[in-house]
Order: sequence, then structure tokens, then C-alpha cells
Amino acid sequence: MTRPHIATFALIALVALATGFVLAGQIRAQLLTPSNQLARYQALVRNVQELEATNADDRRQIASLRVQIDGLESEAAARSAATQALKSQLSDLRAHAGLIAMHGPGLEVSLRNGVPGPDTGGKAGYLINFQDVQDVVNLLFAQGAEGIAVNGRRITPLTAFSGSEGQIVIDQGTPFTAPVKIAAVGDRNRMQEALDDPSALPDIRARQVQFQVHLTLEGSADVALPAYDSSLQIPHVSST
Amino acid sequence: MSARPRTARRASRARGISVWLIALLVALVATVQIRSEAEVERSLVGIDSTSLAFLIDDLHRANESLDAEKAALVRLRAQLQSGQSGAADQVLTDEANRLRALEGLIPVQGPGVVMVIDASGLQALDLQDALNNLAAAGAEAIDVNQRRVVTGVPVTQTRDGVAIDGVVVVPPWKISVIGDVNRLAAVADLMAQQLRADRRVREATYRIDSDVVIRSVISERPFVYAVAS
Repeated sequence: MTRPHIATFALIALVALATGFVLAGQIRAQLLTPSNQLARYQALVRNVQELEATNADDRRQIASLRVQIDGLESEAAARSAATQALKSQLSDLRAHAGLIAMHGPGLEVSLRNGVPGPDTGGKAGYLINFQDVQDVVNLLFAQGAEGIAVNGRRITPLTAFSGSEGQIVIDQGTPFTAPVKIAAVGDRNRMQEALDDPSALPDIRARQVQFQVHLTLEGSADVALPAYDSSLQIPHVSST
Repeated sequence: MSARPRTARRASRARGISVWLIALLVALVATVQIRSEAEVERSLVGIDSTSLAFLIDDLHRANESLDAEKAALVRLRAQLQSGQSGAADQVLTDEANRLRALEGLIPVQGPGVVMVIDASGLQALDLQDALNNLAAAGAEAIDVNQRRVVTGVPVTQTRDGVAIDGVVVVPPWKISVIGDVNRLAAVADLMAQQLRADRRVREATYRIDSDVVIRSVISERPFVYAVAS
């Protein structure tokens, strides 16, 4: 047997060995089952993506309809002083409900995930969760914030926060994860002092030490908040 | 004479090609395997199939709400476009009253649930969480011990206990909520179960009421800093 022959056979043996390892790995990893799992998972993901696209489209349409309605109301108000007075009242109510974009002095709070570490209470403490956002929003309102938006989503009188682990859902919006930017218009100094108070936001402070979650804030002379673009229906409520 | 070396060369080339083919196959299988596993891993990061199913459920409900809002806005636009005498004034008045109810500026009534929580040592955060749970279940109006609550009304911890908009609410807390009874009752039931497991809680009950009346209101606060864009 010549030297090239030996080399060729050695190479074939090596390749066969590698094939064996790969096939064994394949069988051990139960490629077929993960493939099915993956297919099912991908179907769920596609479903979520479609629903998210519909959600975004619906919110765009709602924003557009509100602009059209505002235009029609303004036209009507231009024809009558009484209608003008009603329109003015309504604009004020809409501003307080978060239905009108606003701006003014305020601050922006940034929340970012920390680093994984030993968890306590079955919660991934390094992740920013919806309760963190809720706590910061509540603190800002308690310090006189006149309007707040979280990652561009305006907070309204009916706003609810939900989610699981690091997923954050606000009202009928799609879920998002940190980094989270909370923009607030109001008394900048008052809000800043409250956020700087070491006794405020005890849970986030503890996780800043334990998991290095980030909470930073920046004051601004002009913070812009978008208008709310989702549902504010109250079908079960009637005035007494 | 030259036939044998040519045959040998051909056989050697064939062997070489087969080696490369096998190597290619191995590489292909390995790539498929690694990519497949990586894809599973990447897509499963942070969210499992069960959570995805819940997410789909939530998104369906959210999109239904958005559809309802769109339909209401289209109706509103049609009314305004009708140009009938007084139509605009009626639309504006109705919308203003709806927003007053939503912002807690007027008394309201409707179907809902009434929860009673008697406990010592519960903090503002506990009440905030309870209120948020009810809001997430579609609460449309909330009152705690005759104090109207909407998102933005401060619920704070004071030396004397939990305060809503600066007024201490002494337990037992009676939380009256208007909204979809089925959703509210499901959440109230879960909350009551969890609260009863808390040593600080003496009582946590709820009842469904076809006509919850909320008379408390919030005073409107004019904006000082905010300007409409």
C-alpha cells in the first residue's frame, strides 16, 4: 500500500468517525422532536407577529381617526360659539386623559436590565419587569407629573401594567422588554429629588446592588409626550 | 503501458471525490444540527410556548378592544360628518361626559365587584398592586373607602398608613370596581386567595354586584407645566 493510499484511508476513517459522532449527537439531541417543537414554536411566534402587526396597524388607524375627528370638531366649532366652548372643554379633558400630545419641562428615567445572578423568590431579579415600571410611574405621578409616556406609550387614567419576567405590557400595546425609557412632564426638581431619595423604589434599589440593574435619570427643559393611541372605552360605566 | 497508471489515477481521483463528498455531507449535517439547536435556543430565550399562548390570548383581547375603539371613532366621525344641526354639540357633550367618567370627575355606576380587605401592615405598594391587577382586568372605575382612584392618583405610604391622594385610608379597605364582571371576578378571586395566604390579612372577600355605585370624585387639576403640542 502506497503512502497516498494510507493517507486517503486515514482521511476516510476520520470522516466516518466524525459522521458517527454527528449522527450520535443528532440522535441524542432528538433532532426530530426539537424540529417538531420548533415548528410548533415558530407557528406560535408567527401568530404573535401577525397579531402584533394588526395591533400596530389598529393603533395607527385609531390615531388617524382621532385626528380626523378633531378636524371635524374644529370645523363645527368655527361655526358656533357654543360649540367652540364645548370643544375647548373637551380639549382640556382630552389632554388630561392623555389623548393629546404634550410637551414641557420634565425628565427621562431609563431602566436597564442588570446581570444575571443567584435569583431570589423564583424571579429573575436582573430583569426590569412591569412592576418596576409601575413603581416609577406611580412615584412620578405622586410627585406631580402631569403626563407620562413609557417607551412612547402614553399613560392614561385607565392604564394598567402587566407582563411576565422581563416582558412589559401597557394597556392594549404589544409587549416590550428593557431598556425602558419613562418620560414625564412636570416639576423637574420635585420628581428628581424623589427619584434620588434612597428610601424610594426599595425593590429597584436592592436589585441595583444585587444585580446591577440600571436606573438613570436626566432632566430636560422640553420633554415631548405622544398622544395615547389605543382604546379608552368604558362600556360598563354610566353616570349616576 | 500507460493504461494502468491512468486507471490508478482515475481510481485515486474517484476516492478523493468521495472523501470530499462525505466531508461535505458531514459539514452539511453538522451545520443543520447546530443551526437547528441554535434556532430553538434563540427563539426560546425568555419566553416559553405556554407564555406565548398567553401572549396570543392577551393580544387577541387587546386587538378586540382596539377594534371596538375604531368602531366607536368611526361612528363619532359619521355623526360629525352628518352636519345635522346640533349633531356636533351632542357629540362633544357626550364625549366630554364619557371622559369625565373615565377621569373620575363625576359619580358613576355599573356592574362590577366589591372587595373587602382587612389587614394590618399592608403597604402602599400592596394597594398599588391590587389596583393595578384590577385595572389590568378591565376596571373602568375604582373607589377605595370613598376615595376615587385612577392611574395618576398618588397612593403613598405615610406614617399613619396608606394614603390616597394625601388622605389616609384606614383598613378595612372596601374596593368598589366597575367593569366586565367575569374578568373582574376572576381576578378578585385570585387576589382574595393570595391575600388570605398572607399572615397580615384578617379578611379578603369579594362579591359580584350588578350595580356598583361610585359617588367619590377627583378634583380636576389644571396643568402648570404641560403644553399641548
